[in-house]
Amino acid sequence: MGDYRFDRLKVLVVDDNVHMRKLVTTILQAFGVVQIMEADSGDRAWASLRDTNPDVVVLDWVMEGMSGLDLIRMIRTNPQAPNPFVPVIMLTGHTSLDHVRQARDAGVNEFIVKPVSVKTMMSRLVAVIEQPRPYVRTGGFFGPCRRRRSADEYHGPERRSETAKKQAAE
Amino acid sequence: MARQKPIELFMPPNMLKAKVGGGKGGVDMAAIQRAEQAMDALKGEFDDWIATDVKALIAARARYAATPDDEARAALLRTAHDIKGQAPTFNFPLIARVASSLTRMIGDLPPGAAIPLQLVDAHVNAIQVIHKQGLKDTGDKIAQALCAELDARVDEVLTAKAQSGKSGSIFR
Repeated sequence: MGDYRFDRLKVLVVDDNVHMRKLVTTILQAFGVVQIMEADSGDRAWASLRDTNPDVVVLDWVMEGMSGLDLIRMIRTNPQAPNPFVPVIMLTGHTSLDHVRQARDAGVNEFIVKPVSVKTMMSRLVAVIEQPRPYVRTGGFFGPCRRRRSADEYHGPERRSETAKKQAAE
Repeated sequence: MARQKPIELFMPPNMLKAKVGGGKGGVDMAAIQRAEQAMDALKGEFDDWIATDVKALIAARARYAATPDDEARAALLRTAHDIKGQAPTFNFPLIARVASSLTRMIGDLPPGAAIPLQLVDAHVNAIQVIHKQGLKDTGDKIAQALCAELDARVDEVLTAKAQSGKSGSIFR
């Protein structure tokens, strides 16, 4: 993993706290990332996304106004989003399973639970490069598959439908 | 005829991998060391950063005390949540613990329920004391007792609220 060209990456860092932005930006710069855009709100992040089309988004959950979850939903489903597949790494102080599910359901690719550490940041960055998830589109969801499985593993109707459950039971 | 909702499962091209290459095995220790050194260089600023966060919490508390509406409550919760997440990074784990207790209380009380201001103040004051005294040792007995007391008081508030079954009737 020692030969990644992080200098080719464009990363958008979204956090309403200037210190956390500085911390994350400092780590990314040390990794070799050169093109780092910062946004202090969901609205500004949305504008930056459309202007710069980043390769990765590092996003805080709790922000005034548009939350991190709101922004992810826009990224995944708004037709004006430049890249609905852009990997999103969510920074969060939330640690409960319920919060993790909410974020997964919104379309988060990876989590960093605060406190932020260098090794965690590197591992999540490598994860979005090396272990991208398949994407799912249904009537009510679009985003990374919530299970880390290959897209080749499943073929068939919606698994959670009653019919599918009955078929499985038979 | 079985109902079959359309479902697409697909793997988009890995443009990120194509862009950055790499992946020949092993961890990029040089990059990690550079980043650790950069973090160390930042540590001198952490005291100022946490001071800014504590000021923001005091301001959010004052705003809620003056006008205890939904916006002020959300701002107080947001500020406490920020501190909960950031304080460990800034080497103030005890502040994070107290902020976590405050976040739990505000977050778990139902919308519309008044937040007991005295208990908010107890948390804010504790955070100020920990910050002023520079307490960073999570094994500090007095700090542990203080945190346990705050946790217990929050438990009481949440339990009482759950039992009352009504919003905004018993606390202020």
